[in-house]
Amino acid sequence: MKWFKSLSVAALAIALVSTSVSVAGAASDLKGKIVINGSSALLPLTLQAANEFKKLHPKVKISASAAGSITGPQSVRKGIADIGAVDWDASQDVPGFKKFDGQVAHKVAIIPFAAVVNKNVKVDDLTTKQLQDIFSGKVTNWKDVGGEDADIIVVNRAFGSGTRVNFQMKALQGTEFISKGSNYKEVKSSGDMKTAVETTPNAIGYIDLVYVTSNMKALKINKIAPTEANVVNGTYKVWGYGYYMTKGKPDGATKAFIEYIQSAKFQNGSLKKLKFIPISALK
Amino acid sequence: MQLDTSARPSIAGPNASELGGSIKAGSGKSFDRKNRLLFYNRFFKLACIASAVFVCLILFGILFLMFRTGVLTFRDVSPMTFFFSTDWTPEDDRYGAFVFIFGTFALTLLTLLISVPLSVVIAVFLAEVAPTWLRNLLRPVLDLLVGIPSVVYGFLGLTILIPLLRDITGTNMGDGILAAAIVLTIMVLPTISRVSDDAISAVPRKYRDASYALGATRFQTIFKVTIPAARSGILYGVILGMARAIGETMAVVMVIGNTPQLADALFKPTSVLTSNIVMQIANVPFDSTWNNALYMMGFLLLVISLLMIVLVRLLQRKGAHS
Repeated sequence: MKWFKSLSVAALAIALVSTSVSVAGAASDLKGKIVINGSSALLPLTLQAANEFKKLHPKVKISASAAGSITGPQSVRKGIADIGAVDWDASQDVPGFKKFDGQVAHKVAIIPFAAVVNKNVKVDDLTTKQLQDIFSGKVTNWKDVGGEDADIIVVNRAFGSGTRVNFQMKALQGTEFISKGSNYKEVKSSGDMKTAVETTPNAIGYIDLVYVTSNMKALKINKIAPTEANVVNGTYKVWGYGYYMTKGKPDGATKAFIEYIQSAKFQNGSLKKLKFIPISALK
Repeated sequence: MQLDTSARPSIAGPNASELGGSIKAGSGKSFDRKNRLLFYNRFFKLACIASAVFVCLILFGILFLMFRTGVLTFRDVSPMTFFFSTDWTPEDDRYGAFVFIFGTFALTLLTLLISVPLSVVIAVFLAEVAPTWLRNLLRPVLDLLVGIPSVVYGFLGLTILIPLLRDITGTNMGDGILAAAIVLTIMVLPTISRVSDDAISAVPRKYRDASYALGATRFQTIFKVTIPAARSGILYGVILGMARAIGETMAVVMVIGNTPQLADALFKPTSVLTSNIVMQIANVPFDSTWNNALYMMGFLLLVISLLMIVLVRLLQRKGAHS
C-alpha cells in the first residue's frame, strides 16, 4: 500500500504541474516521511524549511508540492498529505469555503497583501469604502475616487485563490466581488496578476506584498502604506497568516517539522530572507 | 493473412506445398524454420490486433471515466440549466455552462475563419509560386513553428498582442475572443499550411499541364484545378488545426479574460471550456457538484472535438465522391 501511496502522490504532483522536491538522508534518531501539499504562496517557505530540516534529521523524507490553497486541507482529509499548506485558517469557515472538521491549524508565517494599480493611475490612496465600491462594481471610473476620467479595469484572482479569500476578508471586509462586465477579468496566479496590472492601463488588482515590483504602484489603504513595518506595528490590516493543516494533533516527524518552521531560529532567519513576516512579530 | 490461412493445414499433413520449397517440411525438430515462421506470423498479427484494441480501450476508457464523474452533475443541476443557462456562479450553486460551450464554438469558428484562407494562400505560395531555394528555406521554418510550446504563444499574446490591440482599437482591455482567435491562428497556421502544402504538391503534374494546355491562366489553374484536386488533403490539415484550436488551453487562458459572460463582442472578456477548467480545477473541493460540472465540461469538450472530426471526415468522403 505504501508504494501505491507514494505513487499516487507523485502522479498528483506531476498532474498538477507543480514544483516538487524530494529530500532523503542518512543518520539521526528521527525517522519518517512527510508529504506536504497546498498553497503555492507558501511553497518557497516549505522548501527552504525542508532543506534545513533534512540536515538536522537526515532520516526524515520530505516531499513538498503545491497546486492551490484548497488542495492542502483536501489532501490532508483524503490522507494523501500529512501537512496541507493553506493561506487561511481552514478549520474555520471563510467566504466560499466550509471548515474542515478534525483538522488543526498551525500558523507558520504572516503574509501581507497590497492593492496595486497600473503606473498610469494617479490615485495613491483609497479608503476601505472606496475599495469595496471599486471591487463590487459600484464605482467604475477613476474620477469618482480622485483620479482621471478613465474606466477602472478590475483584475481579480479566480475563486478559490488564498490571496482572494484574504483580500476579501481583510481589505473589503467581506464585500462580494463583481463577476461580470467588459472591464473585468480574472487571472490564474500571482504571476499573471503581476503581468496584467503592469501591462493594462487603469487596472487595479491585489497581490502578495513580495510580488510588488517597481512597474506597478501599491496603494495606501486608509492612508496607511503597505509596508512590513506597518503590518508589525498594527496599522496596516491587510494581511493573513499562512497555515499548515494537520489531521488532528501531529506527531513524530510531522510535529518536529512544524516545530522547526515555527522556531525562532527559522522564523527570524530564512523566513525573513524570503520576505515573509515572522509570526512572533505580532502577538 | 493469406499465408496464415493457407499454412494452417500444412502443419498436419506433408502434402502442403503452398508455402514453397524454400521452407522444409521439417527434420523432426518441433521448432524448425517453418513452424518458427508460422509462430512469428501469428504472434505479429496478435501484436497488431492488441495494439489496435489498446488504442480503442484508451479512448473509451477516457470517455467513460469523464462521463462517469461528469454525469453526477445532473444529480444537482438539471440538464436544461447546465446546457442553456448563462449563469455560472458555482459559489452560489448556479451551474450554467452555456457561456463556455458557446465560447468554444465561437472561438474555433473565428480561428478557422482567419486561419484557413491564410494557410491555403501560404500553401499555394509554397507549392506553386515560391522559387525552390525559398521553398526549401520556408518549409523547415514552418515545421519549427509547429513545435513552439503554446504557453510561449500565450505569453507573447499577453505582453505584445493585447497592448497592440488596445492601441489600435482604443478598447479598455483588449482581452477577449478576438485576441484568443489571433493567438490560435498563429498557432494553427503552420499546421494547416504545411499539410495543405504537401497536399497541393502531391497533385499530379499532368493536371496542371492539361489545364495550361486548355489555355487557363496560372490563377485559374491554381484555384480551379490544383486546390480542388488537393481538397481532401487540405481538409485533413483543417481537422488537425481545429483539433489543436479546440483543445488549446494555456495560450487561450492568458488572453481571453476568464470571465463567465457570453462572448457577444470581440473585445469582451469571456471564457471557453478549456480555460474555465484550468482556471478552476485546482481550487474546487473534491466530490463537489462544482468538480463534477468541470468533469462534465471536459467530457463535452471531448465529444465536441470527436463530433467535429467525424463531421469533417464525412464531408471529406462526400467531397471525394463528387
